Amino acid sequence: MKRTKAFAAGISATALALTLAACGGGGDDDTSSNSANNDDLSKGATTSGGKNPDAVGPAPELEGQQEGGELTVLAPDPDDGPALLDPAALWSVTDNGIAQDLLFRSLTTFRQGEDGSYELVPDLATDLGTPNEDFTEWRFTLKDGIKWETGDPVTAEEVAFGIKRSFDGDAFATGPGTSYSKPYFEGGEDYNGPYASGDDFPGVTVEGNDIVMKFSTPFPEMDYYSIFPAIGPVPLDAKAADYGLNPLSTGPYKVERFVPNQELVLVPNDQWDPATDPARRQLVDKYTFKFDFNPQIAGETVLSDAGATTVVTALQSTDYNKAQQDGLTDQILVGPQPCTGFVMPNFDKIPEVEVRRALAYAYDYENIWSAAGEVVGVTLANGVTDPDLGFGLLPPGMAGRTPFQGFDGEGISFDPDKSKELLAEAGFEPGEYEVSFVYDASTPEGEAAAEQRQRGYEEGGFAVKKYPYTAGSLYDVWTDPENALYKKINLLGTAWCQDWPSASTFMPVIIGTGSAYNTGNFSVPEVDAEIERIKLLPVDEQADAWGALEQSAMTDYQPVINTGYYQNIFGFGTSIQGLANDTSVGGAPDYRTIFISE
Amino acid sequence: MALPATELVGHDEQSAPPSEGERRAIAGRSPLRIAFDRLRKDPIAVVCFIVVLFFVLIAIFADQWCDLLGVSTETVRASDFIDFSNQLPKKGPPNHGFDPEHPFGVAPGTGTDNLAVWIKGCQTSMFLATMAAVLSTIIGVTLGLIAGFLGGIVDSIISFATDLFLTFPFLVGALAIAPILNERFATDPEKLRTVSFWALIAILTFFGWMGVARLVRGEVISLREREFVKAARVIGAPTRRILVKEMLPNLIAPIVISFSLGLPAYVAAEAGLSYLGIGVFQRESWGRTIAAATNWWELYPQYLLAPVIGIAILVVALNLLGDAIRDAFDPKTRR
Repeated sequence: MKRTKAFAAGISATALALTLAACGGGGDDDTSSNSANNDDLSKGATTSGGKNPDAVGPAPELEGQQEGGELTVLAPDPDDGPALLDPAALWSVTDNGIAQDLLFRSLTTFRQGEDGSYELVPDLATDLGTPNEDFTEWRFTLKDGIKWETGDPVTAEEVAFGIKRSFDGDAFATGPGTSYSKPYFEGGEDYNGPYASGDDFPGVTVEGNDIVMKFSTPFPEMDYYSIFPAIGPVPLDAKAADYGLNPLSTGPYKVERFVPNQELVLVPNDQWDPATDPARRQLVDKYTFKFDFNPQIAGETVLSDAGATTVVTALQSTDYNKAQQDGLTDQILVGPQPCTGFVMPNFDKIPEVEVRRALAYAYDYENIWSAAGEVVGVTLANGVTDPDLGFGLLPPGMAGRTPFQGFDGEGISFDPDKSKELLAEAGFEPGEYEVSFVYDASTPEGEAAAEQRQRGYEEGGFAVKKYPYTAGSLYDVWTDPENALYKKINLLGTAWCQDWPSASTFMPVIIGTGSAYNTGNFSVPEVDAEIERIKLLPVDEQADAWGALEQSAMTDYQPVINTGYYQNIFGFGTSIQGLANDTSVGGAPDYRTIFISE
Repeated sequence: MALPATELVGHDEQSAPPSEGERRAIAGRSPLRIAFDRLRKDPIAVVCFIVVLFFVLIAIFADQWCDLLGVSTETVRASDFIDFSNQLPKKGPPNHGFDPEHPFGVAPGTGTDNLAVWIKGCQTSMFLATMAAVLSTIIGVTLGLIAGFLGGIVDSIISFATDLFLTFPFLVGALAIAPILNERFATDPEKLRTVSFWALIAILTFFGWMGVARLVRGEVISLREREFVKAARVIGAPTRRILVKEMLPNLIAPIVISFSLGLPAYVAAEAGLSYLGIGVFQRESWGRTIAAATNWWELYPQYLLAPVIGIAILVVALNLLGDAIRDAFDPKTRR
């Protein structure tokens, strides 16, 4: 999934909050270690804890867990939260964190295991689904006793209806359906959901209490995809447009008040039965979410007495520094996100591999981050701050990953001389090769970061042209070949988060020919062939194969330059207990484990 | 405005009947000269003038000041100045003592010299405010003169336009124009830098001339009926001559006053717009520094204080000087 606003943040500055990234991953965030350190990242904090098909409700009791209290969650600007709470439309870290943890149950879900890692467990289904031999058919059985907040039972037909809605790319353009439902399901390309194409779809059928899915492309990761609310029930009479304003809950909480992009108030759902749910709890009396909140006020509040029961989903770096200075480190949690930022040289305009390598040595990592307002080594980190992290494509902790240490294996750092040498190898004098990029000029930090970047490139022997952009997200330029600026620049970018802990949600998107977020248009037939080959490998061989492909592609082609792995800073009040970083949705507070102590 | 009785008494004491020689000297002085003499004797005006002059000198010789003080706004390698563990400078404020190489310290995160940015910001503010005040005064005076003197349909049209512009929200106009320009000149950053600067002057001018126009129109309407104007008309002087030679000199007071009171308003407006991110672009500006520094208030107050104090002193000095000029020109409010 894309880290839309977050990337603008990373490269350009503002607060670190991702709004349009989606989900996945497991993580081992120890709730007791609240202080920031790189160990979380290097030890592989985003690793999956595997699958546990036998998990049953109720969720295990937390140490010292208490009930009661009202919790306020502040999501600072630019995180404007959900515009619609429609299961089919949810595909962003903030929104999915809330929806999956508190409101909408789906066929499977993640839960934090006893050792702190996230494991995949059955949710509405009795187990993690049964695939056939070649993963072209999956069968899930619905549990008994699941109820809507109205008290009506949830039926298999309603689950099938919910899944079919995810095919509607027009009504739910922001949802995950166009990436995972349509390309894999049998007939998915031509089916546009029950509202446009009717309810009759052979890809998703119901047999008694079973939901049967058929795939034209083998989809061994359907059990992971089933964590999305889009693979959950929706009442058969739900309208396409309005349901998201007034959705029915199946989880431990229900909506009391919802103002899109502003506020969401949740109260306990008395029809939710803990015995059916292995992951969720109902410990807090009331949740109040406030989106697009003033970042300064959020930081002030949470670090003062007034914010004892408040959680801030993304603390500014200045608040982080202040908390460090004032000794409030136990009110901060630095959580890794399974996301990587990239500079993507346009493969057609910069065909020389030496030049692409030189760019990696001419990017002044730490200084650019510092100017962008990031906390170096905390909110952004890679091999520069911790050699174990490397400079690869895949975020730390992903199975099969070996840290990439540069084409010569000696690690990468800001090294202008090496950059000039590589340029000379390609036959360019210093100052001869022009690189150009677009940057977010709407904030002072964005401009400062661009200036540092320009200085680094220039020291590294490049001529630089940089174009300010204030009209919106940089993705508007990077993903639109018709854009006037797109035609001028030869360095683009992306920041990408895994959807679940598998490199298959990463590699094809970043270096596969024709992917929208492969903004540099990297295209090598051998790499594409290898991607296709790995997709068809047995599941247990895939991870290592992806890791090997990452190494070979980065070494031979340097298709992208790693500009840092992301970490999020949560702030929480003194009465908050059990706050964990939920990497299973890409780095949001885990609302399943939070409680308020007296 | 009504004056306290004590002051009236004071004036009575001062204005004892002048001697013959004094009376002759007064008789030979122009209104401008009289006003200037009054200003010179007003301590507040003198102090404010010196303060404004200080800023003017900083603005005019900004590059020379930077060279003299050995500071520069060039991008430096942040790690040479910044401690990455807390993003604050390694030397100088806020955590260390005074650093003679960077008297105002360096910016957190980037290490850019604050004094150089402050000096260049002053230049931007002064130049922009002066240009906007001059242009809006020229437009306002011209339209006011024409409307007031010609009257009739011309007056109606100009007055309507004045009211129309007064009702149009200035901030909305500024907000709307910034993205249009960015889109138009997106592929040419150099041009964008120049264009956005002059566009800001244009916006400030565009929404700033109405006050002067109204003031001048009112004055002209009353002047129009005065004997010397009527006399000029009777002897057949052309309209242009009447306007320029007969009327304009009598309008010096309101023009100077509105100009001097307009300046501080434009300084503040530029800072405000730049703070909002729709002001000057790719140039140093106090408003932009303030926008960047607000987050750092608790950790690094000096970073925010420098531009805030700069704006505060300059605006207060300009305003007080403007008041003093008005008092000097207008005997009715004389202190």
